[in-house]
Amino acid sequence: MSQREGSLEDPQADSPVSFLPHLEAKIRQTHNLARLLTKYAEQLLEEYVQQQGDPFGLPGFSPPRLSLAGLSGPSPSHMGLPLSERLRQDAAALDALPGLLDAVRRRQAELNPSSPRLLRNLEDAARQARALGVAVETVLAALGSAARGPGPEPAATTALSTANNAAGIFSAKVLGLHVCGLYGEWVNRTEGDLSQLVPGDVA
Amino acid sequence: MPAGRPGPAAQSARRPPRPLSSLWSPLLLCVLGVPRGGSGAHTAVISPQDPTLLIGSSLQATCSIHGDTPGATAEGLYWTLNGRRLPSELSHLLNTSTLALALANLNGSRQQSGDNLVCHAQDGSILAGSCLYVGLPPEKPFNISCWSRNMKDLTCRWTPGTRGETFLHTNYSLKYKLRWYGQDNTCEEYHTVGPHSCHIPKDLALFTPYEIWVEATNRLGSARSDVLTLDVLDVVTTDPPPDVHVSRVGGLEDQLSVRWVSPPALKDFLFQAKYQIRYRVEDSVDWKVVDDVSNQTSCRLAGLKPGTVYFVQVRCNPFGIYGSKKAGIWSEWSHPTAASTPRSERPGPGGGVCEPRGGEPSSGPVRRELKQFLGWLKKHAYCSNLSFRLYDQWRAWMQKSHKTRNQHRTRGSCPRADGARREVLPDKL
Repeated sequence: MSQREGSLEDPQADSPVSFLPHLEAKIRQTHNLARLLTKYAEQLLEEYVQQQGDPFGLPGFSPPRLSLAGLSGPSPSHMGLPLSERLRQDAAALDALPGLLDAVRRRQAELNPSSPRLLRNLEDAARQARALGVAVETVLAALGSAARGPGPEPAATTALSTANNAAGIFSAKVLGLHVCGLYGEWVNRTEGDLSQLVPGDVA
Repeated sequence: MPAGRPGPAAQSARRPPRPLSSLWSPLLLCVLGVPRGGSGAHTAVISPQDPTLLIGSSLQATCSIHGDTPGATAEGLYWTLNGRRLPSELSHLLNTSTLALALANLNGSRQQSGDNLVCHAQDGSILAGSCLYVGLPPEKPFNISCWSRNMKDLTCRWTPGTRGETFLHTNYSLKYKLRWYGQDNTCEEYHTVGPHSCHIPKDLALFTPYEIWVEATNRLGSARSDVLTLDVLDVVTTDPPPDVHVSRVGGLEDQLSVRWVSPPALKDFLFQAKYQIRYRVEDSVDWKVVDDVSNQTSCRLAGLKPGTVYFVQVRCNPFGIYGSKKAGIWSEWSHPTAASTPRSERPGPGGGVCEPRGGEPSSGPVRRELKQFLGWLKKHAYCSNLSFRLYDQWRAWMQKSHKTRNQHRTRGSCPRADGARREVLPDKL
């Protein structure tokens, strides 16, 4: 394992690796993007719950927790994984999210056709997730780590679309809420994982 | 609809209930149903799912538990609507596994995605949900008006109905077709000049009438407007006149000259165009309008206050284009152009009218002065070619010299009366 991979696995053990300037710049850029998208994800969630109506926006609202096959939120054990594996999982989740966000947008176009801001935010989120995922994969490739492990099953998006269309409207609203929540969780997690790579930001 | 009975659209209320668990694909089923709190692995279904109802109607709903845990019961379940707990007296147990709800005199839906009716377990966890759509069918749209910008496009707007809010998402579709032939077309660019408007950007025929109407549709029904028939040429408007210039008329303290250019898009067709000018004092909101400027591109405002800044705008009506007999549609006003009248120690006249070059002065003190001047000329000189320019020169000279109107000076090509001494007025006024 190269020195770089060694430091990626355990960035806290030794002094930070002296990355090439362009790689440093790419890491900073990707980290900044993740930080920005974390804020956008919060705004998307706020807009989403507002358009679905109460109780979606009320404190303490906790619908049944749904998991989508192939994509769930970051596990509690995520932080214990090697950094390279964490970033791989981040990239995999970001790769799955655009399809899910698109499915939610299509459903919301039927439920909230007069809410252009929500629809635009969902479309933007899909694009942003894709961009961040590609950026993380680029960083991983530059660091000599494989970009992706076993990726999310494409059928997850198909299943969501099928279920979305067949489900009652309340269920569709709940599904969309979970997807928006997952988006926020994963961009936030990605930001946290990348922060450990940013030169000078290593704890 | 009479209160107490659901409307016709509530047929959707009679759809067979679908358990929440069966709504998901098999790929998802294996990861659903995570128990929450002490509720156990209960699932439930609300019937009807996503009904559509008229305002004022009633709703009978049920929440039926499908529990794996022995002894699963509807005891302790409760309802919320849009996050607010419903009074317990509105619900009752139909049987051990079903809680019923009776709502009467429903109000219009709070959001377009539907009111959220939720069935909760005793611990507050959500068992099932259904979205209610309560509203009114659309009214017949009316008051369609359309205009074409430079004969290139057509924009229409309409009024949705007198009743106002339907509480349901209502889709409006503007349709159009050539009157004598052709298929129905649907406008695609909506909300261009307000919420109830649509823009047809191209491929419009001239000299042949179109039929235009609006169709409104929501979950409770549809309505169609009356058909408007028009020829695009009869509803033409154009751009505001460009290059509006306002300038002083020499030293005349009560006049300003306004010049503009014909709107370029139609300049080759504006044989009968009308223009209108409006102007106001800088710190006033009251515009004065000069009508009937007719087909010319300059005008003079008179009777203005000296030493005052005026804002001026011009607009154009391309009526009569290609022989249209209709009134035409005024363009927007041009951007305001400002200019100031010269300052004078003497107070000037108050009002203002537009005096076309070569024409007669319109009214008021200007006319009186001109009459006096002409009268004086007839008395003291033989002038066969009296001109307004001559009058302007005389007025300017009057103001500059602070003399009374009955001065014995004149200038120009008018022949002098015998024995009268000729004096020349200064060139520059």
